[in-house]
Amino acid sequence: MTRNALIYLVLIALAFFYIFPVYTLLNTSLKTDEDLKYGPVTPTHSIYFGAYIQAFNRIKKQLLNSAIIAVFATILSSVLGSMSGYIFSKFRFKGDKVIFLVLVLGFYIAPQSILIPLVIFMGKIGFFNTYYGLILTHVAYGMPITTLLFRNYYEGIPQELVDASLVDGCGTFNTYLKIFLPLSLPGFAVVGIFQFTNIWNEFLFGLTLTRGVAYQPVTVAVANLKGTTVVAWNTICAGATIATIPVVLIYIFLLKMIIKGLLMGSVKG
Amino acid sequence: MIVKKNIPNIIFIAPAVILVVIFVYIFSGWNVWTSLTDWRIIGRMGKFIGVQNYIELFTNDDTFRMCFFNTIKLMAIFIGLTIPLGIICAIFLDLGVKGKGIFRTIYLIPLSFSFVASATMWSWMFMPDKGSINTLLRMLNLHFLTQPWITSTRQAIICVAIVYIWQFSGFATLIYYAGISSVDPNIIDAVKVDGATTFQKYSRVVIPLQKPATLTVLLILLMYSLRAFDLVWVLTGGGPAFSSEVLATYMYRVTFNQNLFAYGASISFVMFILSFIIIIIPVLIGTLKIRE
Repeated sequence: MTRNALIYLVLIALAFFYIFPVYTLLNTSLKTDEDLKYGPVTPTHSIYFGAYIQAFNRIKKQLLNSAIIAVFATILSSVLGSMSGYIFSKFRFKGDKVIFLVLVLGFYIAPQSILIPLVIFMGKIGFFNTYYGLILTHVAYGMPITTLLFRNYYEGIPQELVDASLVDGCGTFNTYLKIFLPLSLPGFAVVGIFQFTNIWNEFLFGLTLTRGVAYQPVTVAVANLKGTTVVAWNTICAGATIATIPVVLIYIFLLKMIIKGLLMGSVKG
Repeated sequence: MIVKKNIPNIIFIAPAVILVVIFVYIFSGWNVWTSLTDWRIIGRMGKFIGVQNYIELFTNDDTFRMCFFNTIKLMAIFIGLTIPLGIICAIFLDLGVKGKGIFRTIYLIPLSFSFVASATMWSWMFMPDKGSINTLLRMLNLHFLTQPWITSTRQAIICVAIVYIWQFSGFATLIYYAGISSVDPNIIDAVKVDGATTFQKYSRVVIPLQKPATLTVLLILLMYSLRAFDLVWVLTGGGPAFSSEVLATYMYRVTFNQNLFAYGASISFVMFILSFIIIIIPVLIGTLKIRE
């Protein structure tokens, strides 16, 4: 009995460290301007959504931008990753291991080391400050991880299935289309969620590849909101909350798939 | 015949390979080339000046040196505390009390925050006068514990590390929890038969078996702390007085605020070399070992 109480005490203390910042964020975001002077810890005196309305009006365009960029980049990078993951998992050819390694190592290279050429390149091909530029960038830098995740996922599908299908006269393409795609739905869910959350939360590419609000993602908008001194803290907190809600909901309701993605990506790094 | 058989394979992997080759490898090379010029005006090509930018960087740039050591410091504090915290969380979840699922969810929530959102939230936490931490301490009559946090040159980088710990310890917990859960039950039974206490079970048997988990966590944490940009940029802006400036923020400032493109590229390449030494070489060694 005391043992369990002790365990709970530690678990709750740890939970406090993770939850307290979130509490002050939500608490502040619900305060009126008047109520702000009581500080971020004192519970809000009213459930006031004025700050949310203000924040939403300031970042609604960027929310839409982020949604467009994240949805298209997620779909494209998942499909391309499933295609290459399928080959690397089920077919042997000369140099396959080296090519796979070269591909996956791209994941570990800091984005800063390619940032300057990236910005110049996007300018040259006319993709600077467009949806295309950001989508292409996210798809390209998503390839290592989506390939790795799908390779690991397809390892769970027996090789015999492929061999039988090839003997039956189905080519690589038909085997993929008729056998692998139908079996890939859970894989797509895991990889898609992984990609969507990462792209939604990305900041550096959004900051360097856009000018002004037209194509700016929401992370940049929230950073700007925080950077301006004229905006009150309840609005800043509301903005950060709005930008975080989609991903937090995904985490809470699809936690199993998130965990699967994180484990799948790291077990066989 | 072999060539013909390979064509579909090539088509299937082509998009991934071409994109990565261009966006990662060719761009990395292009970046190196840029760093060897004096390029600083858009629209005009730079002149080749050899390794002069690197000489400047390593012999004459105090800010760079500071950023370099700040990056190392951030890595050390962040990783040094996240791993033990992750192990502790994982063990207490593994003790299997009712409702552990809720706690696990709570521990993982920070991972869903963007660095921008968490930096915004924590700068509100760290404000010296109105911030949540100092307010809470004052409410608890612990005035003597209040700190200047991000406004202090001594503490700013520690604040950055704290937010990183907050954000990533859930990831460490998850990996360790998976590792602990997959320990062979027979081993656990044998330990219990031997009459070991719970503490001994973990300290002598379960945790020493977590080397693969530690390697995984270490690799990811190293990777994220080296490229640390968003969080520093929004939380402290590298300040006060460059006390929390890291390589990534300095590279951005030099390149995009001061338009010293070539000089920025040389900082980028230093980051590339660092990620090579501390991340890619260990991964390669690990891959070769597994194959043996």
